Amino acid sequence: MKQQSDLEKRLEQTLSSLDGVQRATPQPWLFSRVKARLSRSEEKTVWEAVGTFLSKPSVAIAGLILIMALNGVLVFNQESSPSVVTSQSDLMPGDSESLIASSSSFDFENLVQP
Amino acid sequence: MNEWTLIEQLKQGDETAFKTIVDTWQDMVFNTAIGIVQNAEDAEDIAQEVFVQVYQSVGSFKGDSKFSTWLYRITVTKSLDHQRRKKRKKRFAFVRSLFGEDSEVVIHPPDFNHPGVALDKKEDAATLFGAINLLPENQRVAFTLHKLEGLSYQEVSEVMKTTVSSVESLMHRAKTNLKKSLADYYKEKE
Repeated sequence: MKQQSDLEKRLEQTLSSLDGVQRATPQPWLFSRVKARLSRSEEKTVWEAVGTFLSKPSVAIAGLILIMALNGVLVFNQESSPSVVTSQSDLMPGDSESLIASSSSFDFENLVQP
Repeated sequence: MNEWTLIEQLKQGDETAFKTIVDTWQDMVFNTAIGIVQNAEDAEDIAQEVFVQVYQSVGSFKGDSKFSTWLYRITVTKSLDHQRRKKRKKRFAFVRSLFGEDSEVVIHPPDFNHPGVALDKKEDAATLFGAINLLPENQRVAFTLHKLEGLSYQEVSEVMKTTVSSVESLMHRAKTNLKKSLADYYKEKE
């Protein structure tokens, strides 16, 4: 019983230890340090700000997901579109010959004589 | 000088007005921050951050509340953010230490001494601060603003954007939790 009342008294004493507490004060020249900090933050370039923004985990992960989604869309579109004519054999035979002929005649005509 | 005149001058970018604001409210900001983070260096850092934010966002201060209420809100938010960052770092360092990486686990000093406490109460106050640190955030904020800054329940409710009855409830729960933590501590000590 006595132990309980001692404990109660101890608790009350501890809880009231902040009664009449004085305000804590910072180190002198806080204003100078605030000004220095302010000018440092103003010196931050646009690229630094962009870098900071991009390095945020949420932005970086969202960017990565976006790039992967765009890749997926591109691959899907490429697979579903008709194949593009690329090989030499797919061209009309006459076309390739006339092209060579015309280019060679052009070269002959424009040949600079010594 | 009137507080509204100062604010208007600061909105115009007047450096003298800014200096007056810092000089007038620096103790209030520092004392609130030190009560929440329980570390003088961190509180100093937070006080600087608070005034940088005041300078940069004074334009958004419309005067719906008192300037000191706005300042308290910024200080409390920054102090809680700081504590959360510190706890995250501590958890990360702990996980790294489990994997055998050489990293120092940052442990908060268990007995913080508030510089404004009278000498004969230092030991009890340090024990009390240890128990305050275990409280949930909103109870810790209400208790700190009321006990350290001497704000009334009405003023605390304005800072915390809640009702007076909510603050009363927070304070009641804070005292109950503190008594429980302290009782456990003293029983263990015996």
